Amino acid sequence: MTFLAQLLPHLVNGISLGLLFALIALGFMLILGVMEVINLAHGSLFALGAYFAMMLLAPKLGLSSSTFAWYAAMPMSARYALALVIAPLLVGIVGMAVEFGLRRTYGKDPLYGLLFTFGAALVIEESIRVIWGTRDYVLPLPDAISGATLVGGMIYAKYRFFAAAFAIGMIALLWIFIERTPYGAIIKAGAHDSEIVRAMGINLSRLRLLVFALGAALAAIAGVVMAPFWGIRPHVGVDAVVPAFLIIVLGGVGSFWGAVLASLLVGITVGLTGAYASEWSLLSMYLLLVAVVSFRARGLFGKKSVLEA
Amino acid sequence: MSNLSSRRRALKAAAAGTGLAFFGPFRHISYAQGKKPIKLGLTCDASGQYGDSGQDDMRGMVMAIDEFNAKGGVLGRQIVWITQDTETTPATGSRVAERFITREECGFLVGALHSGVANAISQVAQKYGCIYFNSNSSSPTEAGKDCHRTKFVWDGNGTNFSKAIVKNAIAGVGKNWLLLTNDYVWGHNTSKAARAEIEANGGKVVEELLVPQNTRDFTAYLLKIQQLKPDVVAAAIGGDDIKALRTQVSQLKLDTKPAWINNQQDWPDVWGQGADSLFGVFGTNWYHKLKLPGVDDFVRRYQVRWKDAPIPVPGNVSYNGYMCTRELLRAIERAGTTNNIAVIKQLEQIKVSAVDRMQNYDAYMNPATHHLQQTIYMARRNDKPVDKTDLFEIVSWTKPEDALDSREDDLACKLETYESTPTYEL
Repeated sequence: MTFLAQLLPHLVNGISLGLLFALIALGFMLILGVMEVINLAHGSLFALGAYFAMMLLAPKLGLSSSTFAWYAAMPMSARYALALVIAPLLVGIVGMAVEFGLRRTYGKDPLYGLLFTFGAALVIEESIRVIWGTRDYVLPLPDAISGATLVGGMIYAKYRFFAAAFAIGMIALLWIFIERTPYGAIIKAGAHDSEIVRAMGINLSRLRLLVFALGAALAAIAGVVMAPFWGIRPHVGVDAVVPAFLIIVLGGVGSFWGAVLASLLVGITVGLTGAYASEWSLLSMYLLLVAVVSFRARGLFGKKSVLEA
Repeated sequence: MSNLSSRRRALKAAAAGTGLAFFGPFRHISYAQGKKPIKLGLTCDASGQYGDSGQDDMRGMVMAIDEFNAKGGVLGRQIVWITQDTETTPATGSRVAERFITREECGFLVGALHSGVANAISQVAQKYGCIYFNSNSSSPTEAGKDCHRTKFVWDGNGTNFSKAIVKNAIAGVGKNWLLLTNDYVWGHNTSKAARAEIEANGGKVVEELLVPQNTRDFTAYLLKIQQLKPDVVAAAIGGDDIKALRTQVSQLKLDTKPAWINNQQDWPDVWGQGADSLFGVFGTNWYHKLKLPGVDDFVRRYQVRWKDAPIPVPGNVSYNGYMCTRELLRAIERAGTTNNIAVIKQLEQIKVSAVDRMQNYDAYMNPATHHLQQTIYMARRNDKPVDKTDLFEIVSWTKPEDALDSREDDLACKLETYESTPTYEL
């Protein structure tokens, strides 16, 4: 019983961490699943989202003009809500610009797309350095979701619960969008057989543009939500792109619930090893990947990979 | 065929032109003064865990070089420098050092934050006899088992900081300690030094949690700390990891209980996060608001030189970069030659007055370990700052002799002989 009581907080922590990993991986999964592009710019778009949110939340750092005094006077909670909407929209536009450049690589060796997004990641990261400098920033939070709370004798950050609940909401919204709307049906069809989609008169270029923009916006949402945990610095996206890639491979490329399940597994594994074998905590996620892929090369729920010819 | 030939000629001409454009001014300076410049290789991280700190380190070095060049250089020779990102990665550090020595003909290497990188660079440097300054990496092993005849270590190390604080903390706070250790050489050795001090003073280490490098989520560790209920957490976490830890500890309001002792807080790690996430007691070897002669002038010179620096004032990292580069150039001047053995002998005898170093006590180079012994400061968050840069309150300062690393790590240092160290003169 004592052991279980000791274990429970770490399980809760692992699940919440898994939900946050899922949030990070959603945009990556969408772009890879539909467009067959491994978007290495995902991390930079994640970081860009955090920077835009910082400007929107701490106007002194960004919108300093007296023209925006009315905005600065708004309550922090309202600005935070706006940041969760506006920052992803702005990053979505950046994502569209990246997709325009990416078009030249469609139908060619996947390596071209990989290299292009790698280049885009470097450009975005260096642009961040030029615009905001190399220093670190902290994302301010509304009082309602900052600070600590006592649960079962343990102190937790309120924001962690908020972020986990927000991640559940985003997972549900994305699932509804993909599974329950005509747009989602077109996206899925595009992932399955793009030629047929084109033959049916659907503008495939526009579809890809919107999917990439949506993937970029999801990366930005993750950046905004994770910023209070990880801080904001130009290279913070590197911390996001590696687990995102790992989760998609573990869950199975193209599988929505595979990615969510893989995220939870990774979160619980990292959380438990952090508590009981701390030096293994980061390595454990890679060991999990090796263990799963050794027995099932396509990941937990992967069908025939879109990367396979 | 003729097309190919003319294209080759054009390429050769372009290459020659590029070469002239690139090397021309450099040679011009050299011949104009009749002497070849002294070339320094600045081995600074620009990315990875210590990317920000590496660049801060470099600002101090460049400032010292500029000041010497403004006075006419050293031995009548200009000082030139090159740098390359060592990526907070030992393998890259090793590669950069090899290139700087063998291809760029750097006579001296300066710079490191990460102990693994410093150790890798120093092995290459020793192979060629190249003098290397570890400016900011503070694992006790750097001047212990990994010491070299050609390496000089300039920052206070984990043992220095532990000696300066552990005894008082056991008496004042409690005996049960938890060690939170970055899982690499600096973290291990710093915690090892802390453990030795804790046990020597009647304390007890209830647990040591190893934190892998690049950990961003510390919740599991913070839950474990709550379950174990130590009196004191002694953290040896650095770079971006400590930034994430500080943010998360502040969010949980765990910053006052248990008590936190952060072995050393590098200024670039603190800056940008604000005072709110600064907690516990921590060590440093310099602060820009020390009430000592020369400090204000140094800060002013730094601000003139680095108008657009991401950090508006120098901290311990840029201070160490500046001080070690200055002492290197002074040693060459005193030696009257760039002969490495002659310069090493000068460096081994260094004594710097407190005024000259802008610290409270005189500093000296330990000739047996090549580790600079200096004043160690303990600090905490400043609740009454005079301006936005005034983040620290210095609570005590310890004499070099009282913080001296005098146990096994010192004894573990076996410097190579002069005879076995390759000699060069540039």
